[in-house]
Amino acid sequence: MSNKIVLTYLIYLPVVAGLTLYVARALFRNGRVFMLDIFKGKVDIADATNRLFEVGFYLVNLGFALRIMQVGGRYNNPLDTNQELVETLAGKVGGFAIYLGLMLFLNLFLFFRGRRKARQGTHGPVVVDPVHA
Amino acid sequence: MNLNLLAYLLFFPATLALAVGVARTCHRNGRPWMLRLFDGDAAFVDAVNNILLVACYMVNLGYIALVMADWERIDSPAMLFATLTQRMATIIIALAALHYQNIAVLLIWSRLRNRSKAHHAPPAPGIDKPGT
Repeated sequence: MSNKIVLTYLIYLPVVAGLTLYVARALFRNGRVFMLDIFKGKVDIADATNRLFEVGFYLVNLGFALRIMQVGGRYNNPLDTNQELVETLAGKVGGFAIYLGLMLFLNLFLFFRGRRKARQGTHGPVVVDPVHA
Repeated sequence: MNLNLLAYLLFFPATLALAVGVARTCHRNGRPWMLRLFDGDAAFVDAVNNILLVACYMVNLGYIALVMADWERIDSPAMLFATLTQRMATIIIALAALHYQNIAVLLIWSRLRNRSKAHHAPPAPGIDKPGT
């Protein structure tokens, strides 16, 4: 078999699945603290929301990973040598990892935003900033 | 003879180890700073710190893998060394830039915070003690 496109897919799929799994687990294990803050310590609803967001995260990222999987289409690269295999695979996986990193930052930003809003909600207009009031 | 594949196989683990080492150092030593920024809320700080660590891994690993393509053809061991050092130097300098940027963000953030704290609560001794 001289053409290595199928081999590329067979390596790509477990790698991106593993990356997504690792990232999502790390994110939502630590996201629990934020959710507890946002929902003011209601453990059941915080855990449920956390889990729902985790599943959403899996779906979005695995969907994106599958969407960009196709190789050889853009440059019509026949992928005959091991070197081309490594180069193509590194490009795909690298791009996906950077995308995952950006998604992590986006999620962290959303967590912070939710936490800030929740805190504003609890204090409300009662505690007014003494300097700017 | 084409040595590109060997170059990739040397390049990837070496730079990966470097990136992971730098990220872990930042993770470990950034914690006291973040504790200071978030009023010693340890659970919260650890959560943020861990998410940042994973994000740091992903972005660095992604960049390292992304640049592992379209290298010039490597024909001799001499060229292998030359190319490898050149490429690794690029990664190391990028890591250094990110590292200093991290330190700058921490410094600027804690300075801004100290300033606003001093504004909001005048009788607060010990704010300006570094490292406390």
